[in-house]
Amino acid sequence: MPEYQIVVCGSIVPDPLQTLEPISGPAGPALKNEMMLPAWLDPWAGHALFEAANLASKNPGSKVWLVALGPKAKLQQVMMTLAQKVPFELVALDGPAGGFTDASETAAALAEAIQAIPGLDRSRMLVFGGWESASRGTGTTMQIVGEILGITDQFQGVDEIKIEASGALRILERIEGGRHQVSLCDAPPALLGWATGNLPEPRNNPQVGMANMRTIMPALQKAKPTKVGADGLTFSSVAVPKQARDTKIVKDLPADQIAAEIVEWITNK
Amino acid sequence: MGHSPRNARNHAVSGSENPERPQMEADIVCVGFGPASGGFLTTLARGILNPDGSTAIESGVAPGMPLQVMCYERADDLGFGVSGVVTRARGIRESFPELDSAEIPMAAPVASEKILYLLDPVGASRRPALMRLADVAIRALGPVLRVKDDAMELPWTPDFLEKHGGLVLSMGQFTQWVAQQVMGTGAAQIWPGSPVGEAIIEDDGVAGIRLVDQGVAKDGKPSDGFMPGMEVRAPLTVVADGPVGPIGQQLDRAFGIPEGHHTHDWALGMKFVVDLPETCDLEPGTVLHTLGYPEPEIFGFFYVHPNRVASMGIFVPSWFDSPARTAYRYLQHWMLHPAIWRQVKGGHLRSWGAKTLQESGRRGEPRLAGNGFARIGEGSGSTNVLTNSGVDEAWTTGVILAEGVLELLKNKQPFTAENLESAYVARRRGSWVDKDGRIAERGRDGFQRGIIPGMIGMMLAGLTKGLVAMPGKPMPPHQRVKTLEEYYRGRIAPDEIRAIRKESDAKGISAHAALMERAGWPQIPFDGELLVSHQDALLIGGKVQAPAGYADHVEFLYPSDCGTCDSKICIEMCSGQAIYPGENGLPAFDREKCVHCGACLWNCASANPDDPERGRINFHAGAGGLHSAEN
Amino acid sequence: METILFLSPSEGALSKNALEALATAKQLADSLGTTFSVGLWGDAPQAAADGIASCSATKFLAVTGAEFAQSRYATDAAAAEALGRASGATIIIGPSCSRWNRVLAGVAHRLGGRADSHVTGLSASNGAPAIARWYYRQRMEGILTRTQRPWVLAVESGIAPAWDGAPGTAAVEPVACASAGVRSNVTGIEAPAADQQTIRPDAELLFVTGAGWTKKQPDGQVKTEAAQKLILDFLRLSRASLGSTKSLVDLHGEGVATLTFLNHMNQVGQTGSTPRHVKGLSTCCHGEEPHTVGWRFIGERRAISLDAGCGWARGKADVLYVADAFAVMEKVNALLAR
Repeated sequence: MPEYQIVVCGSIVPDPLQTLEPISGPAGPALKNEMMLPAWLDPWAGHALFEAANLASKNPGSKVWLVALGPKAKLQQVMMTLAQKVPFELVALDGPAGGFTDASETAAALAEAIQAIPGLDRSRMLVFGGWESASRGTGTTMQIVGEILGITDQFQGVDEIKIEASGALRILERIEGGRHQVSLCDAPPALLGWATGNLPEPRNNPQVGMANMRTIMPALQKAKPTKVGADGLTFSSVAVPKQARDTKIVKDLPADQIAAEIVEWITNK
Repeated sequence: MGHSPRNARNHAVSGSENPERPQMEADIVCVGFGPASGGFLTTLARGILNPDGSTAIESGVAPGMPLQVMCYERADDLGFGVSGVVTRARGIRESFPELDSAEIPMAAPVASEKILYLLDPVGASRRPALMRLADVAIRALGPVLRVKDDAMELPWTPDFLEKHGGLVLSMGQFTQWVAQQVMGTGAAQIWPGSPVGEAIIEDDGVAGIRLVDQGVAKDGKPSDGFMPGMEVRAPLTVVADGPVGPIGQQLDRAFGIPEGHHTHDWALGMKFVVDLPETCDLEPGTVLHTLGYPEPEIFGFFYVHPNRVASMGIFVPSWFDSPARTAYRYLQHWMLHPAIWRQVKGGHLRSWGAKTLQESGRRGEPRLAGNGFARIGEGSGSTNVLTNSGVDEAWTTGVILAEGVLELLKNKQPFTAENLESAYVARRRGSWVDKDGRIAERGRDGFQRGIIPGMIGMMLAGLTKGLVAMPGKPMPPHQRVKTLEEYYRGRIAPDEIRAIRKESDAKGISAHAALMERAGWPQIPFDGELLVSHQDALLIGGKVQAPAGYADHVEFLYPSDCGTCDSKICIEMCSGQAIYPGENGLPAFDREKCVHCGACLWNCASANPDDPERGRINFHAGAGGLHSAEN
Repeated sequence: METILFLSPSEGALSKNALEALATAKQLADSLGTTFSVGLWGDAPQAAADGIASCSATKFLAVTGAEFAQSRYATDAAAAEALGRASGATIIIGPSCSRWNRVLAGVAHRLGGRADSHVTGLSASNGAPAIARWYYRQRMEGILTRTQRPWVLAVESGIAPAWDGAPGTAAVEPVACASAGVRSNVTGIEAPAADQQTIRPDAELLFVTGAGWTKKQPDGQVKTEAAQKLILDFLRLSRASLGSTKSLVDLHGEGVATLTFLNHMNQVGQTGSTPRHVKGLSTCCHGEEPHTVGWRFIGERRAISLDAGCGWARGKADVLYVADAFAVMEKVNALLAR
């Protein structure tokens, strides 16, 4: 049975229904009160981590790392929730996690951290990450990580990985039209940018949390200060779009009439 | 004492009955992470590690390792669902002598304090005759008394209410900051999203805790992905789960509370966090308290944080006799009072939250320690009801316990009731928390007889250091809460109340909005900025969440009997509209709207047949709730 | 002076999305006062080149070979890299399709440039190109310029009318590209059966189901089966695409009785996709994310909710019907079935 070394890249984003507002800072745009907003693991990166753990649990001898770039204090906080979910070893980088940093700079920092993980064996390595973050939302960071690591078997929008009897990786990627493209990759190394996958969020397991803690706290303590910015980028504006529409509120109309209105609306090209 | 209601959900699947239940050992396990645990863990961490990070006190359960200290918090993250405060910060500053408030987001030193008496600008407030007379006089003397915007500033703030030298804090941000300091030392682990289901009670003591089961249906029965809650066994369990914490309640039932003690007095605090408009010139650290409006019994607060942000809200006390005491609607009326609206108009609602407070203070003190357990914080009766202060006191009880625990650990003495009594309880008795708590004990009794005797009683107790107080007997809700018909007698006819109730039951909503409007309260002019519907407030600045796979934490013990309840105050007062009229108007619970304030636990107006001190609702430990760390 | 390359994989004739990107590239070239070239790759890109022969590109470059027919990182990236180098372009523009999105950042990296995806606007002022793109899942829009070149872009569909011109015969210059070391192969496409298909990106209408469908209704009953039938009937009759929220989808994953046809692919909003449709109808929606984010790219928006005060519909939907979605949708289906 193959023993995979799965490196998951993922960082934190504001809890999704927080009110977000951009501000202009000395280093370019940022989120207002960014450090105060509750954070959680970027959802698609989270799916990548849970899929990694699932794959590792089915292939004994496999191991999962989480490489996370974010402000140390916030990372520590999110880890206390995340650590209870699945077993992993943390590699922490202390730097900004906001959406306005450039994908290439983030990717370079992540790739450097991956290269520094002792004992990584390319022939067993799978690099996972979120297809797109919920912050920058470009879907480009992981590709550059792959390029720096020399991985040209890359898959994006992944919803499933299965291991064939031959050891080949059978991967489902989202493509146009609500369909999945099926690919076979001969063997690791490969890079997968995950969409939502098909796994429910794992339960909080205190024992998993305890075991993870042995590496998480030391990893946070030695988190390398990492400078990541948006060199070469100039934002002329960042704004919350004017969303206000003049909403017509239709009350006290019988269902029949509402239905007739809706049908007319949807059939009227 | 000690028996469970007839059909209460049985969380007590013991380790021997269920060999699948995982087990773990720790030296100290702590239930809940708020200011009390913050004080406890901050002090403990400094004692169990040397300044260079090496081990000062070795673990008893994991030889060779430092003391293993676990803290489990039910909310989805640390600092979720707690409140904004002004505090003298006496105990907090003792723990952090070099504290720079700028390190803590939203913290500001207290700059000024004012008390405003609010007149009734809409004419719907239920003011006693004497108060109405006073209002007439105040209005008549307006220019002399400097009445402005229907409000009069009291000429002086009594010493016992002053918070000079203190801090305005967001408890969410403060607890997160404390957690960072504690976990940064590596001396303790604080796990959010981990509700503690019950204490393991063995041999007349506590042997640890069990986390709640996951992968269960709403009724607690195993479902897909069932994962029995882990047992964490420890020589010492520190119970800091607040005023509605299930472990505190369990211990009260198991071990009883001291003779004469009760928790009949409580209040619901509800608040908004608001981005103030550019036009607002209030300095950070401004502290404003109000009384008189929207109802005479409802007090308001307005604390200004740095960067033009304010926490503002109201307290609705247990002795406000309305059975339809919706805090949300009243909070909006309070904010619309000209004296408040003037400051906030043009601002923006950032988040919203609610919490109940144990306001029996020291008279609600449970057994503070027993074999293998100790209780700290608000649930241990530390709140000072005269100075309106709880955070600093809670923090200090944690500090005191940690000092006692460190002494026992250093002397290698076990955590027996006797040892904890001398190391913790005796220390606490000698502390300012206990001394001030005694002064405050009877300070609010007058409110049982009305707002005016209450105010007089509070002043008497405050000025005489507790020697004199206005008498009054706090009563449990089933003796206190009136029926709607009684409360609205002379204002709304019983037939009309029944019709309103019937109509709201059919819609599946509480009746209070219709009742209040019928009683003369104007409609709220929703503007989408500061004035939004209650449901929208649940979604602003951090949606209320309820992860799947957990049991419902609110349980109606005798659901069929709820039909005979006149007030249905659980529905009328629910802070999140999570309890609503379901089938046949009986209360039903929607976990996805619950903010875990616990008002339903306090206010159930039907006595529990097995224990009249309790109502007919069980409030278990539950996951989820508000996702906002600004509160 | 910028030089612009329009780049696209070709699977026969160019897709609408690619033709829109071509129009965008041409527009940018016009506004910068420069020219643009075309780069295509595939097993027979000549046909695609001929289809746009009159687009006024200065040259047509192509990487040709059976191995470049597959939608695969290794070969797509190699082809795009070769075309990028051969063109010497400073700005490379491709369509926001799964193939180009998969490789654009890798290609930028190889060419020593930078990439930006999901571009929703391209403009030029004073000879400097600027792009618009969204951050934080469509919650704020940034307009930005870059100094690094080449600047490799993927433009979203719908930001320009598709290029429309006469076909002809394009003089295609072949570009050499090696494809050694290929270790992955596309073996097929999985699509849900036509009757189970609930995602239709080309549909006129996006139908969003809120969690309300699975909640207790005003009569105190949960009517999941009725909801399921109403929604599936509506999708069948209207050919609408179905969107949902994470919470609904997660409940399904937890085994709670809910709408069984939903899966993570239906998720829209903060945790899912941001589909584009001309119209959107949200139902039983109160408090669900589609109002705040997933709706950003929906043209006309209507909602059915029991709550007249719903702040998530107010100011965001064009029409809010305060009504019971069960009753309304039943009538809608009856009318559509006629």
